[in-house]
Amino acid sequence: MSAQERRKKRLDRSVKVRSEGLYSLSSWREMAYLLAPRLLLIGGLLAAPFVLDLYWQKVLCAAGIIAVLAMGFDFLAAYVGLVCLGGAMFIGFGGYAAGLLNAKLGLPPVLTIPLAAVIGACLSTVILMPCLRLRGVYFAIVTFMLPLFATHIIIALELFGSTEGITGLDILANHWWEQYVIVISLLAALFGLRRLVTEDVGLIMMGIKDNDQAVLAAGISIFRYRVLAVFIAALAGCFVGAYQAHLYGWLGLSLFAMDFSILPIAATVMGGMGTLSGPVIGALILTPLSEALRGFGQLRVVLYCLILLLFILYKPEGLMNYLERKYHQFERWEKV
Amino acid sequence: MSLLEVINLMVFYENAVAINNVNLSCGKGLITGVFGANSAGKTTLMFTVSGMILDTARKEKMRGGIRITVMGDILFEGRSIMDVEPSRRAHLGIVLCPERRRIFKESTVIENLKIGGIIATKAQARTTLEYVFRIFPALVKLRKREAGFLSGGEQQMLAIGRALMAQPKFLLLDEPLLGLSPVMEEILINAISDVRRAIGLTTMISEQYARPVFPIIDYGYVLENGGVVVEGPAHDLMENPDVKSAYFGLQEE
Repeated sequence: MSAQERRKKRLDRSVKVRSEGLYSLSSWREMAYLLAPRLLLIGGLLAAPFVLDLYWQKVLCAAGIIAVLAMGFDFLAAYVGLVCLGGAMFIGFGGYAAGLLNAKLGLPPVLTIPLAAVIGACLSTVILMPCLRLRGVYFAIVTFMLPLFATHIIIALELFGSTEGITGLDILANHWWEQYVIVISLLAALFGLRRLVTEDVGLIMMGIKDNDQAVLAAGISIFRYRVLAVFIAALAGCFVGAYQAHLYGWLGLSLFAMDFSILPIAATVMGGMGTLSGPVIGALILTPLSEALRGFGQLRVVLYCLILLLFILYKPEGLMNYLERKYHQFERWEKV
Repeated sequence: MSLLEVINLMVFYENAVAINNVNLSCGKGLITGVFGANSAGKTTLMFTVSGMILDTARKEKMRGGIRITVMGDILFEGRSIMDVEPSRRAHLGIVLCPERRRIFKESTVIENLKIGGIIATKAQARTTLEYVFRIFPALVKLRKREAGFLSGGEQQMLAIGRALMAQPKFLLLDEPLLGLSPVMEEILINAISDVRRAIGLTTMISEQYARPVFPIIDYGYVLENGGVVVEGPAHDLMENPDVKSAYFGLQEE
């Protein structure tokens, strides 16, 4: 059994150990080790508008929207234990709120986008509140249904332009604005959420996911924290929804499209659950990928699904978990 | 002739050794005791023999979590079962009754037992069901009750019953007395020894506290930090002063 006498040993890189805690400030090397991956993402996103042509700039905006939704999905699923398929609802509420504020009240985008984010998030949270006691698949079903529900109400009551939607909304000033609004809000959401989950609030939320009865026993109201978590995720989702309405200068039923519920999940699966940065990377890969595959016509969806399938089969942990491990650890054969 | 033989078994959770070079053998028709404190490796041993560790390893791999390495060999009836899937091992007759019972909480008692007996033939299932109700008469009244609302002792009876329903040749009981009252301990111990008498079932029991189990075991191993430190026939172990103080709570004067 010669093959069995050796074992691959996985060890943390010494620089990783050295850069934990305050000691990371001890030398440039350690700081560079910590900062390099973060700066790579920040720098890459900030520089992207300069290197991309007009078409791919639009793709970047679309990818950013999916990325924020994916982060919200990941946050709710991996840190709070609520599987939320309500991406379409967030986009729809945010988009309609912003569009109506703009079309009916004539407010400029700089006001409508933040206002719509808050209004949409409040609305989503209030609607989801009775469902927060549901867990697992039930919550998922309810959140999946609500966008369909909203669509049919709008059609049936002929609200807000019904199936036509409302066109001619104000669009953002120029393509720099378009891109930097989404890029900066994406980065803010990413680093904000990453901070949040390491704060006390985040610890409680993870506790709720792990064992809600133990959290109750510690004298903490689960309900309040779930409401808070849903509000945070909805805020991010509605923000990009509002942004999208002003990006295309148009609101309509396609804001409630299932794509906004499904694509973020695909991005999260690809990027790695529970990493927050993984879903961003997943979205930044998947959205351009689906554009690049346009040349294949009808085969596009097939190829897209195939790539996802291969990912689930061969790298189910997700890109980010894999990269993180390679970055922080090394392996060597060791005699047992 | 031993039914199960564990040869140079090593289990790593990433870089931590959970089982370190363990050799043990369980004689046919005998009850083998495995004793050890927390972190001694009892549960890992149970999981490795029953194959559950393969499943855990796969799940961890999917999640990108820790890597579980298993080395060495496990022979069951003289054949290596290292690569056999846990479900196939159950078909071979290696049945685990897991720690903390893990019964199907939302099913009734009778449904739990039926699920346990799915791989048995109809006739076997019927006889075993009668047998389980005979050794655990308390379950008869509770047969329609949802299992999640049973008391700890009743759940443990159910878990053992469910394991028996799978027609084991080799039964693994992982801490069957966990958190039970002395009265309940006695009922379970009597049931286990009854099983051995009645159908000559080979059993491996792990426990932290050896005294209640001791009267019924034939051979015992003491694990510490993943390795076997003492082994021997039951009465020899009883004589060992270290074992006495550590696992029987007896003080040497």
